[in-house]
This record gives sequence, structure tokens and C-alpha cells, in this order.
Amino acid sequence: MTVLAQNVEFSKDQFGNDKEGLKTALKEIKAGDEFYDLDPPRYEQALPHYLTAQKFNPNNAQLNLKIGDSYLHSGFKPRALAYLQKAYQLNPDVDPRIHYLLGRGLHLNAKWDEAIAEYKRATPAAGTKNTAAFTQNIQKKIRECENGRKLAAKPSRVFIDNAGPGVNSPYADYGPVITADESVILFTSRRDNSTGGQKDPETGGFFEDVYQSTRTGKGEWSPARNLGEPVNTEGHDATVGLSPDGQRLLVYLEENGGDLNEANLRGAEWRKPRQLGSRINSRAHESSAAYTPDGRSLYFVTDKEGGLGGRDIYKVEIEGRGPAVNLGSVINTQYGEEGVFLHPDGKTMYFSSEGHNSMGGYDIFKSVYQNGKWSPPENLGWPINTPDDDVFFVISASGRHGYYSSFRDDGLGSKDIYQITFLGPEKPPLLSQEDQLLASRVQPVKETLLAPPVAIASAQVTILKGVVTDEASKQPTEATIDVIDNSLNQIIASFQSNAQSGRYLVSLPSGVNYGIVVRKDGYLFHSENFDLPAGAAYSEVVKDIALKKLDVGVKVVLNNIFFDFDKATLRKESTGELERLQKLLTETPALRLEISGHTDNVGKAEYNKDLSQRRAKAVVDYLVGKGIDKGRLTFAGYGDAQPVAPNTTKAGRQLNRRTEFKVTGK
Amino acid sequence: MLKTPLFSAALLLTAFTVQAQVDTVRATTLPPAQLAEKLYNSGVAKFNQKSYRAALQDFDRALAAKPDFAKAYYNRAAVRYELQEYQPAIQDYDQAIKLDPNTFGSYFGRAQAREALQQPAEAEQDYGRATELKADYAPAWYYRGALRFEKADYQVAKADFDAAIKADPTYTYAWHDRGSTQRQLGNLPAAIQDYTQALKLQPDLLPALLNRAATRRRAGDLKGALQDYNDYLAKKHDNALAYTNRGSTRYEQGDYKGAVEDFTRAVELDARYAFAWNNRAATYLKLEDYQRAEADATKAIGLNGQYAEAYLNRGHAREMLRQPDAACQDWRKAAELGLEIGNTHAANSGCGAE
Repeated sequence: MTVLAQNVEFSKDQFGNDKEGLKTALKEIKAGDEFYDLDPPRYEQALPHYLTAQKFNPNNAQLNLKIGDSYLHSGFKPRALAYLQKAYQLNPDVDPRIHYLLGRGLHLNAKWDEAIAEYKRATPAAGTKNTAAFTQNIQKKIRECENGRKLAAKPSRVFIDNAGPGVNSPYADYGPVITADESVILFTSRRDNSTGGQKDPETGGFFEDVYQSTRTGKGEWSPARNLGEPVNTEGHDATVGLSPDGQRLLVYLEENGGDLNEANLRGAEWRKPRQLGSRINSRAHESSAAYTPDGRSLYFVTDKEGGLGGRDIYKVEIEGRGPAVNLGSVINTQYGEEGVFLHPDGKTMYFSSEGHNSMGGYDIFKSVYQNGKWSPPENLGWPINTPDDDVFFVISASGRHGYYSSFRDDGLGSKDIYQITFLGPEKPPLLSQEDQLLASRVQPVKETLLAPPVAIASAQVTILKGVVTDEASKQPTEATIDVIDNSLNQIIASFQSNAQSGRYLVSLPSGVNYGIVVRKDGYLFHSENFDLPAGAAYSEVVKDIALKKLDVGVKVVLNNIFFDFDKATLRKESTGELERLQKLLTETPALRLEISGHTDNVGKAEYNKDLSQRRAKAVVDYLVGKGIDKGRLTFAGYGDAQPVAPNTTKAGRQLNRRTEFKVTGK
Repeated sequence: MLKTPLFSAALLLTAFTVQAQVDTVRATTLPPAQLAEKLYNSGVAKFNQKSYRAALQDFDRALAAKPDFAKAYYNRAAVRYELQEYQPAIQDYDQAIKLDPNTFGSYFGRAQAREALQQPAEAEQDYGRATELKADYAPAWYYRGALRFEKADYQVAKADFDAAIKADPTYTYAWHDRGSTQRQLGNLPAAIQDYTQALKLQPDLLPALLNRAATRRRAGDLKGALQDYNDYLAKKHDNALAYTNRGSTRYEQGDYKGAVEDFTRAVELDARYAFAWNNRAATYLKLEDYQRAEADATKAIGLNGQYAEAYLNRGHAREMLRQPDAACQDWRKAAELGLEIGNTHAANSGCGAE
């Protein structure tokens, strides 16, 4: 600042030659004050009036203060600073709160040290009863600035991109939720084609509705469409959570103090959202929730009594009987927690908190459940987190992309949805140099200056997805997909493929030998195996499944039958598959099967044939041992005579080593 | 420069200097009929005048007159070496050795000719025989040490350089190369000492400054390294390698601006020096100037299509330039060329299946 302006009053002395202008300006100030002086004040509605008056006279301390104060309570908080600084410069005694407000303005502009200095000069307003609370607040703000300084010094390596015009509008767009494979995004918007078309009298904006968009090409989203009734109503309908397969949606409705509801996708139709019940919803405010990957439990946020302060995160089994359990003090603080999201690996939780080492407002944190406890939450860092609220963050199964909403200057207006691309730890560049090491030689010796190894940042989950069809009609079909832990012989989760598209998606966290069984009445079951060792890196597997009707000659591969290496001894992990086979035979008394063993072409043909035959016999022996009539079963060993894939690749040989059954009579 | 101890009545050559000192056979003591000896002496005189073709004729005639004249074979070999006729030189040494198997110089000379013919194993053997016949002859140890160094057989190379230094404690090259051997063995302080000793004996042995700098840098003494580079560059301004290596040290110090200056100087001196382009690309990455980083890495790859580090660095630049597919390709290429970490980067950045 070179020239210090003088405070200019809105008075005839100053503007005697523009009485009309003065009159309009005073009217605008009065209109603004009506909102500003409400309890609670409606800052965003006051702002446009003040800004009009400001154009007439930009040098009034009081007006600058009000604009600054209003901006501090708007979406675009950083804009407050310039007005507050001007107010102070025009009149250092403009308001007893000026140092606190300047602190806020500087803080929200990430000017950490200057903000601390102003906070230290802040004093409670005259007549403040609870000076202890004021001091505590100031101390927290100073800590936040200190956190911010540290975090901003080591920024996270990310790209933050506007999700684009397919998703964002000039109105507020927020609350993105995605399928694990990022093929579908649902979000909340307050745009002008909201159901009912009514405006909320409190905020002046349209009522919230849920919108959907699908990924088209590279990073592009299709134009969003209103999800329509029955999910959207005339009131507020907001996205809260989505199951990894996109078949179950959690929505927030403003009833009963704010409750969580669930809507299911049947074919192309969303069913009417239903209340999640009193173990989840209370008269308090339930605002956010996320499914576990098995779809059986919910993590959710409520401010009901009995928590650790503010909003807290709880976990509850949806169909269980037990009460919701507070996640405890590693996660929940005396301040607010909000916006919980569980990664499809089932163990990494993202949530927002005003506590921990937040740099201001809510920051997004990450914690991993390991060995029975949550790890200390880790701040996702600058520039994902800002001094303002950063909430409702979700991340793709690959861990590569996150989504959240934010007020940014490159937005399409109001709050927009942004995609965060995580670049991972810095990739060290490599330098080369050489030296002429022998005095009598001219040939230099090369040396690469090695950088330290980099961390592997991949998510530890496999996404299995595809389309289930009827083999005969080739039509998509609804089927049940059971995810089984083979070593425990236990169904971990069951999902349905979509009745219209046949699409399914399951997330398989690493560390389990999974049996996947796709079943439907009137069809033979289909089995797949995914043995994912602990620490197995992220992968996405597309597997389309054609279900076969029970007919003579039909063959089914039993992917979850395992033998000891080079032996015909059935391993324990095969139990589930054997039981399924037994059940099939019991339920279909006329069914006759040939069980056959197959190998790849490695080793001697004679030997392979013998081994495959002994293995097939072992399966038959098991079934006979369980009471299946011997006459219904035959066995055969074909060695490598009936390959289903070329033996030239490892994957092909793997497919050829198999046990299968063939229907020989029904 | 290296002084070569001389074999009496012989010509002895090294890779650096030819200092033929000839023991002529005194004419006064010769019986008149000694034609071969006269021709021999004439050949020696012509050799000293660098009239190699004429010298060759004299030794030819001397040997025609006296076919068992070992010294004439020996000297003719030296002449042929000088004429870069290495194979015939070796044949003459073979004859000289046959006639006089205990003369170490023939082995040493043959070793040098064999080195010139890229026969390091045979050369190593001949140097070995030379050291057996004359253990106080430092160059035989030194040259064998150098051959063993090149085989990356550093322990035995060090023993040879030890023996060379023992035979001649003023042997600068032996100190220097033992320093390099220590460096390769990871004995950084010992390497620095040896380079220092070489510089003390011969202050203008500038490569020793560069090598000491690189060793100090590897030992974590960036300041000492920079001092050596500065001293070197104060005396010699035309060495792209030296600028490149100082640039790398500045990079390591976090002085990215200074590093860019050095790499720029290096490519001005030698626009074909791929290392300098690559290193400047790496530095631009640190300066978050991804456009320039990409351009420099591309330049390095243009000069050397197998340059794994340059592909890796270009991958980093392209990632930041929002060209994910191109970045993935570069990382994969780097991995294909031997930098396994390229695959890790590709996986971490969601490059998808190959």
C-alpha cells in the first residue's frame, strides 16, 4: 500500500453531489444489515447488498468490516482478508473483534505466521462472559496455524482438477460418492432442475437433489441426470454413501433431526429410500455413512449424546442386534468428526475432523485398521486440506483418485466437485556421471547416482467385476455372487448382479484365498478362485460369467478344489466347493456326473493322466463318503488331452490344471 | 610424465613416451667382419631419429646376416610397435624370447603389443612374467594392475599397484590408480589419501582432482568435493565432464540453480554429452520446470537411445505435464533397459497392465 486511504462516511458531507447514489447505497446497507443482524446472521444473503454499496464508497471502515466478516462466513472465505485489512487500515478501532477477524482472514489465506500474530493480539469482546472459552478457541486456532505451517511445508503430491461440466454446475455441487471402479458418480446438487423446483427459504438456494453421471472417455463425465423420484423429493435429498458396486445408496433426509436412509438399485430403477432403523438413526443428527466392503456393516457419523464431543464416528452391523459402537479416542476427538468413508480394502478409513492436527476447520484424515486397532490418523496434507472445511472425501479402489467438493477460484460457480489424483511419494530423478579412473586410460567409467528406493503405494485390494449372463440366451441376468473365505469355508459377503445390466462388482481385500460362487436357481453354479496373499497390490479383474442350465453334456470347472502339490490329497480349502457339489447332487436326485481331472502339458503324459485320474477319484470318494450313491458318479483322468487354453503361457497352464464335472444324466 | 626404466642395449616403449636409450656396441672393439652388429647400430641410430622405415631395413639386414641376434629381434619389435604393426612385433618378441628367455623387457614389450591388439589376458600373463624376472620394475606391476582393474578384479589390482609403488615410490600413476582401486573397493578415505599423494608428487595431474572430488562426494564431503572441482575448473575450462560432475555435486547440495549453470556449460562445451543433458533434466525436475526437463531428457535420449536414466527422468516430467500414457511408456522403457524401479513407478501411478 502506498497511499493510505481515509475513512469515508456515507454522508451528505461526502456525497452531496450524488444524492441518488448515496440514497441507493444506504438502502443496500440497510438491506444487508437486515440479514447481517439476524440471529443467526445470514451472511451470504447480506453480502450482495454490501458489495453494491461498496462500489459506491469503497473506503468505509465499517462496511469493509461487514463485508470481510460476511465473506468469513461464506464459501469464499479467503476473500475476507482484503476487506478486513482495509477496514483496519481505515480505522484501527473499527471493531473490538478486528484482530480476531484479521487472524481468521490471514489463517484462511494460509498466512500462518501473520495469523498467529493477530490471534495473539485478539481480545474477547466487551461483555464476553466465557473468556476461558475464548482463550481456548484462540489457542486452538494458533495450533491449527502451526499445523498448517508444518503441513504446507511438505505438500502432498497431487493434482486437483475440477470434475468438469458434466458434473459441476453454476450451483452448489457436492457430496460425491463413487463406485469402486469410478465408473459411476452420484452427488448432491442444488441446481435449478431440482425436484419440485422450490427454493429453500433459509439459504435462498434450490433444494438438494441427487444426481448421477457415468464415466465416458478419459476422465470425462457424462452430463449429470437427476436421479428422480422416489430418491429425490421436494425437500433436501443428499448423497451420503454408495456401496462399491453402486447398487446401494445411502441418502440423508432432514427428518427426525437428520437421518440416514438406504435406497437399492433394482435393474435401472432406484427403490424408495428406507429408514435405517433406530440403532443407526436417533433424534440427533446422523449425517454421513459408509458401507464396509461386505455390505454388512456401516460406519456412520452422529452427534448423539454419549460421544467424545462434537460429532463422532460409530460402527454398526446393519442386520445385527448390537448397538452402534463409538470408534474410540484414536479416531474421535472432543471436536467434530464428519464425512466417513471406507476404502474397498475394508481397512483404510478416510474421515474429516476438526481435531487431530487439523490446519483449520475440518481436515481429511486417513487411518488404517491393523492388528485390532486404528492407526493414528494421518492428515492428507496440503493442498488437499485447507484452512477451511474439507469434508466428504471418497477414494477409488485403486487409491489413485479421490473426490471431494471445494470452493475454488477455477470452479464453475459456488461449490464444485474436484478430482484429486494422488501422485504418490516423490519419484527421485536419476543423475549419471563418469570418471576417468585410470591415469593411463582415456575410457571413463560410468556411475549412476542411485536414489533411495521408493515406497510402493498401491492399494491392497482386487476389484472383480463383469457381467453375468445366461449362457443360452446371452441375456444379462440377476444372480447371487457369494464371496467365500476358502480357509474358513465361510461366506463373507453376498451380492446381486444388476437385473437389467447383469453387472456386478466385488472388492476383495488382499490376504484371503477367495472362492467366488455365482449362483441362480435353475442354473449350475459357477466357481472362481482368487488366492490373494497379504500385501497383494491393487488390480482390477474383469470376468464375465455365463451361467449354464443343467443339461446333459454341460461342463463346469470347479475352481475351488485344491490338491497338495503333485498328490491326489484334497486340501482343507476345498471343503466349501465339495459341499456345494454334494448339495447339488442331493437336491437333484436324478443328476449323474462325471468328475474329471486335467493337467497342463508339463511332465510326462502317462504320469499326468494317472495323477488327474487319482484326483478325480478323490473327489468321487469324498462324495460317496458323504452318502452320494456311487452309481451316480464316474471319474476320469484326461491328463493334458483336453486343454481349455494354450499351454504356452503360465496363465494358460494354470487354466488347464483343473477339476471339472460333466452332467451325464438328469 | 612416466619414466620408463630402461633395458640395456634396447629400445623400450610405453604408451606415453618413447624414450629409447641405446647402448650402441662400440665400433672400436668390433672385429671388422661384424656386419650384423654394424647394421644393428645403424638401426638404433635411425630409430632415435624416428626414421622407423629405415631402421626397420637395417634390423632386417642385421638379422639376415645373423639370424640368432636376439637384440636385433627385440629392437625390430620395438620399431614395428612404433609403426603400429603389432602382430609382426609380437612375432619378433617371440623370437627374442626364444633366443633369450630371461630378458624381462621382451615380455613387457610383447605385453604392450598384445594390449594394443586387445588381448588383455595374454598381456596380463606377459606383464606377470616381466614382474617375475624383474620385481623392481614398477611399470610391469602398474600395467598389470590396470588390466586387472579393468576386469573389476580390484583386490589383485590393488596388490599390483602396491608393488608398483614399492618399486618406485614416485610413480604418480600408480598412486592415482591405487586411489581409484580403493574407491571401487569402497575404501574411500584410503582412496582420498592416494589421490592426494599423486597430486603432491605431480600437482598438474588434474584428473586426480576430479577423482578425489568424486570420492569426497561419495564419502559425503560435498564441500571438499566442490573445492576440488573448483580447483580443477580454475585451471581447465574446457572439460564437459568436470562441469557435469560439479553440477551433480551442486545438485546434491540442493543448489539447483548452480547445477543448471554447470550442466549448461557442459552442453555448450560438448553438445553431444548425454549425461549433462540428462542431469540438467533431473535438475529441472527439482525446479519444477517440467517443460525444460522433458526437452532435456529427450535430447539425452536422442544422443543415446539406450539411456535408461533419461527415460526414467522424462517419465517423471511427463507425469507432471499431464501426459500419463507417455510417462508410463518412458518408465516401462527405463525398466526394460535395466532400471527395475521404472516398473515400480509405473505401478504406483496406475499405468495399468502392460
